[in-house]
Amino acid sequence: MSGANRGAPRAVLPRGAWTNTLHAEWTKLRTLPGVWWTLVALAGLTAAVGAAVTGSVDTANCASPAGCMEDTPKLALSGVRLGQVAAVAVGVLAVGGEYTTGTIAATLAAVPRRAAVLAAKAAVVAGAVAAAGTVGVLASLAAGRSLLPGNGFTAANGYPPLSPLDGPTARAAAGTVLYLVLVALLSLGVGTALREPAAAITAVLALLWLVPVVTRLTASAVWQDRLDKVAPMPAGLAVQATRDLDRLPIGPWAGLGVLAGYAAAALLAGGAVFAARDA
Amino acid sequence: MEATIEVRGLRKRYGAAVAVDDLSFTAGPGQVTGFVGPNGAGKSTTMRMIMGLDRPDGGTALVGGKPYRSLRTPLCGLGAMLDASAVHPARRARDHLRWLAHAGGLPARRVDEVIELTGLGGAARRRAGGFSLGMRQRLGIAAALLGDPPVLMFDEPVNGLDPEGITWIRGLLRSLAAEGRAVLVSSHLMSELEGGADRLVVIGRGRLIADTSVGDLLKAASRGRVEVRTTARQDVMTVLARAGATVTATGGDAVTVAGIPSEQIIALLTQAGAAFSGIAEHRASLEEAYMELTGDAVEFRAVTGREAR
Repeated sequence: MSGANRGAPRAVLPRGAWTNTLHAEWTKLRTLPGVWWTLVALAGLTAAVGAAVTGSVDTANCASPAGCMEDTPKLALSGVRLGQVAAVAVGVLAVGGEYTTGTIAATLAAVPRRAAVLAAKAAVVAGAVAAAGTVGVLASLAAGRSLLPGNGFTAANGYPPLSPLDGPTARAAAGTVLYLVLVALLSLGVGTALREPAAAITAVLALLWLVPVVTRLTASAVWQDRLDKVAPMPAGLAVQATRDLDRLPIGPWAGLGVLAGYAAAALLAGGAVFAARDA
Repeated sequence: MEATIEVRGLRKRYGAAVAVDDLSFTAGPGQVTGFVGPNGAGKSTTMRMIMGLDRPDGGTALVGGKPYRSLRTPLCGLGAMLDASAVHPARRARDHLRWLAHAGGLPARRVDEVIELTGLGGAARRRAGGFSLGMRQRLGIAAALLGDPPVLMFDEPVNGLDPEGITWIRGLLRSLAAEGRAVLVSSHLMSELEGGADRLVVIGRGRLIADTSVGDLLKAASRGRVEVRTTARQDVMTVLARAGATVTATGGDAVTVAGIPSEQIIALLTQAGAAFSGIAEHRASLEEAYMELTGDAVEFRAVTGREAR
């Protein structure tokens, strides 16, 4: 075959190999109908739950409309708490599905460099979840914009209409999309390490929900703050806050950074196990 | 690239169980090399190590002189079907081939070519979950052929296939070897390889039992044995057993004799007046040769109470 190349120093990655790997992973992801449905669920759940929560809050329940102190962008984006379950599924199944069906052997036969496989999976999962997340987040803001004034959250009461162009709201919106992407990457890492999708989904959901459930039971405000600073979901969702930032346990970007740390650790651990063990 | 698979001193253990134990063999160009052994003998593990899926505890496996994982274009170096059912059931067959082609940087027309070559045809547009075993085998083989590789490896490709499918795969393996490729094909049934393989690598409990040509193996297994056709089987067996031969009843009116040459058999039977209608050198079947070789290497043998008769 390539007789001329014999004896030439071995390239780390042949030319075009990275593009080929990325292309293959993208084809793999988009040719599964289940992935599309999960992405639709991600956008749909985020927007629908956000709208339901937003619609249930009314200034009539507060002493005065301004006294509600409601963080309306955060309220409108609260559907992400449920929508993230779909992001977990996409991340875990991108690799776990290969183990349950056995296609991982074909994947590693075609691309023996396992780090490249995982990196390509991370890229396509991040891209797909970012796209679906953006749709869900914009739909949530649109729903909030139309629902909030009816419940008394008007500009006159100190609640300007939601706009993705408004500084803090834009940060909350973009941060929410990033939150979903990071949750998906965390799931990809855990899925790679555990291989078994059911186990991986359970592990990620437990990791995300453990602290929010525990802090609900703990009476100590100090401990609540401490836990909210280091737990992936409460810290990551700090990026949605648009008012009273100084009272948050952790700043918006620092909080998202905590989640990014979890995602990076999971991917590194998954990558290390992936590279070391038998396929 | 040379069309070879070279396995040298390969070892693999899973906990306390030794799966592959100091295994060495070569599959060369232009030949179908049968890789035979009982279930659990280590065939699949060896193939997985050749492809770099599992890491050996010792030894090397080279494809065209290089470890698989260092091949620049692996799909163009070795094509393999290890498990035909390893496709995502929700993905269309054509899409399965397409992502593989993308990973290997292969042109899209190659996908259509292997679909044509393996007779998948219109089924390629269907989801692989609805495929029969035969169609899955064709899809697996199409995937193996994508990169037009000089070395091919198939793990139990005819297992569970109907006679038509078996004939097709046999013909395909022969034609791939005739093109100068090295073809390594595993089976736990020697009969599946009869007439299909040029060389045989026989393993049991992870160890090499025989690495030989089909002709030599049969000659070795047949050596010295004589088949006597007779209607007076009991008489013939008594006479010959008394003379020190090992006598086995085979078939309705046949007896297989080992230990004494045919001239002496004729003399003994004539002398004793035992009637026989024919006498010939016994020609062993591959299955027989295999049973003889792997007799000690079968890990789990069914206990048949009346076997001794």
